[in-house]
Amino acid sequence: MWDLRTPSGLFFLMVGLILCAVGAISPATRAPLTNVNIDLYVGASMILFGGVLLWLARRHS
Amino acid sequence: MTLAFPDYLILALYFGFVLGIGWRLKKRVSTSEDFLTSGRSVPVWITSLAFVAANLGAQEVIGMCASGAKYGIMTSHFYWVGAIPAMLFLGVFMMPFYYGSRARSVPEYLKLRFDEKTRGLNAITFALMTIFSSGISMYALGLLFQLVLGWSFTASVLLSAAIVLVYTYLGGLTSAIYNEVLQFFLVVLGFSPLAILAVAKAGGWRGISSRLSPVMTHAWTYTTSSSQNPMGVEWFGLIAGLGFVLSFGYWCTDFLVIQRALAANSMSAARRTPLIAAFPKMIIPFIVILPGVAAMALMQMNLGYTLPVKGAGYDYDQVLPTLMAQFYPSGLLGVGLTALMASFMSGMAGNVTAFNTVFTFDIYQSYIRRHAPDSHYLWVGRWTTVAGIALSIGTAYLARLYNNIMDLLQLVFGFVNAPLFATFLLGMFWKRATGHGAFTGLLAGTGAAALTHGLTMAEGKGGWIGVVHVFPSTMAQNFWIAIVAWSVCFLVTIAVSLATRPRAETELRGLVFGLTATPNEPGLVWYKRPAVLAVVVGVICLLLNFLFW
Repeated sequence: MWDLRTPSGLFFLMVGLILCAVGAISPATRAPLTNVNIDLYVGASMILFGGVLLWLARRHS
Repeated sequence: MTLAFPDYLILALYFGFVLGIGWRLKKRVSTSEDFLTSGRSVPVWITSLAFVAANLGAQEVIGMCASGAKYGIMTSHFYWVGAIPAMLFLGVFMMPFYYGSRARSVPEYLKLRFDEKTRGLNAITFALMTIFSSGISMYALGLLFQLVLGWSFTASVLLSAAIVLVYTYLGGLTSAIYNEVLQFFLVVLGFSPLAILAVAKAGGWRGISSRLSPVMTHAWTYTTSSSQNPMGVEWFGLIAGLGFVLSFGYWCTDFLVIQRALAANSMSAARRTPLIAAFPKMIIPFIVILPGVAAMALMQMNLGYTLPVKGAGYDYDQVLPTLMAQFYPSGLLGVGLTALMASFMSGMAGNVTAFNTVFTFDIYQSYIRRHAPDSHYLWVGRWTTVAGIALSIGTAYLARLYNNIMDLLQLVFGFVNAPLFATFLLGMFWKRATGHGAFTGLLAGTGAAALTHGLTMAEGKGGWIGVVHVFPSTMAQNFWIAIVAWSVCFLVTIAVSLATRPRAETELRGLVFGLTATPNEPGLVWYKRPAVLAVVVGVICLLLNFLFW
């Protein structure tokens, strides 16, 4: 059976990279009620999550 | 709210991945059972997350957030009372009969256990209901995107429907289930930053409690009488109506969720599916309800955050999108909207895959063409998927034109659903229950539900026969309608069963408690045993209730 962790991991890795890029390119961008660079934080968490999924899939195969 | 390039990029990436998953799974489909039931081959962690995700549609996400703002933390009863106990019961007690009977659908189980007419009644009403609910949620999504983003109603409805169509047409149930897992991750990762940011801004749980009236931050304290809380319900109606009748009626009999467990690759995996699913299910209130509660506290803080007004109150359905607009900058906003789209798609694909299976096996193969080669049923399954989505789109437009018809249909479906669990409970645990009993019980229960609605009144609803009793809220009315319908169905089924000829016990093996070998799965490690899992979930669920008492 095809391992779903591979595409899911890839997806979150890519979304995380996009978010980190947005956070890095315009670090001063804020939503009205947010006062941290939230894109960067969520992007980093997604890269971590995607990485864990990919690592699990690799270890399994 | 306007989207920028990175937001569209994330949305496009998501579309690409769901379509890619459908494409990749296409070659796994060669028989009708591969397409409609996944050939019982899916790993348990996937079926478990799909079990939660198929129920986590956009309407649920938006509705629970709205309800959190309107009623406060009492909304969590829809999870900790209205879902968890029923999911545990399904996994521990009912799944052995569903999975062990080798029925391909819930109506098919009714056919094996009772008779053709009981199956027919369930199959036809279920098929209509799935189309209806997927159409309604499509309508809600189109409306929301029109309101918040200014997108055209038609464009958002057609685009999202087309994507669901492509991936379910290609890969069938497996593709729907695999995508539901991706969608589940996305919903959790996309909405939890919102919960964290909103709660932190409102000063944490302490800040929220100090700004709102205590009834908003307690789940049980104000339930001794229905006049104490804005939901207008008291603990007995809540536990018996929501926690028992409605919740067990949905989680233990609705093919939409049970289909996910039946796709699991072993009996043990099928039983563990709802039990493992209970863990994320318990956590979802923190992601979808808490932001709603926090939003009400934020409104007291003069930060410039306020909800749009609708009629005499607030437009609570806009809590989630307005919070996103306030807390999510470009980038994360794209993730949030993609998560909303994902929740919509997982709900819709759930309806569509349940519909095509019930239609193909329980209606087409039973009443239209019985002995065709399998390739014919695969073809029918595929085209039913197309027809189901087309009908949902039609329903979405119908809902847009005639809102009242939709309210009426929703009411009627509620009457049909209310007594269902009594039929399954007796069918699985009382071998004397007969087909005639089940069928008349269901009809009597539905009739009793309609009668209760006609004789009682709440918030101006019901009372079309005469008003015998007035409920403090429509929610209380719904809970009590369910209690009456269940009781009538239960008693009528017993009475008619005792008056009709029972089936031979040999015909009921594997279908009824007492005539079925209990699966004891020797050699299963302790943490995979259903009873152990159920106890762990039960304890955590109780703790959560005490924590927010």
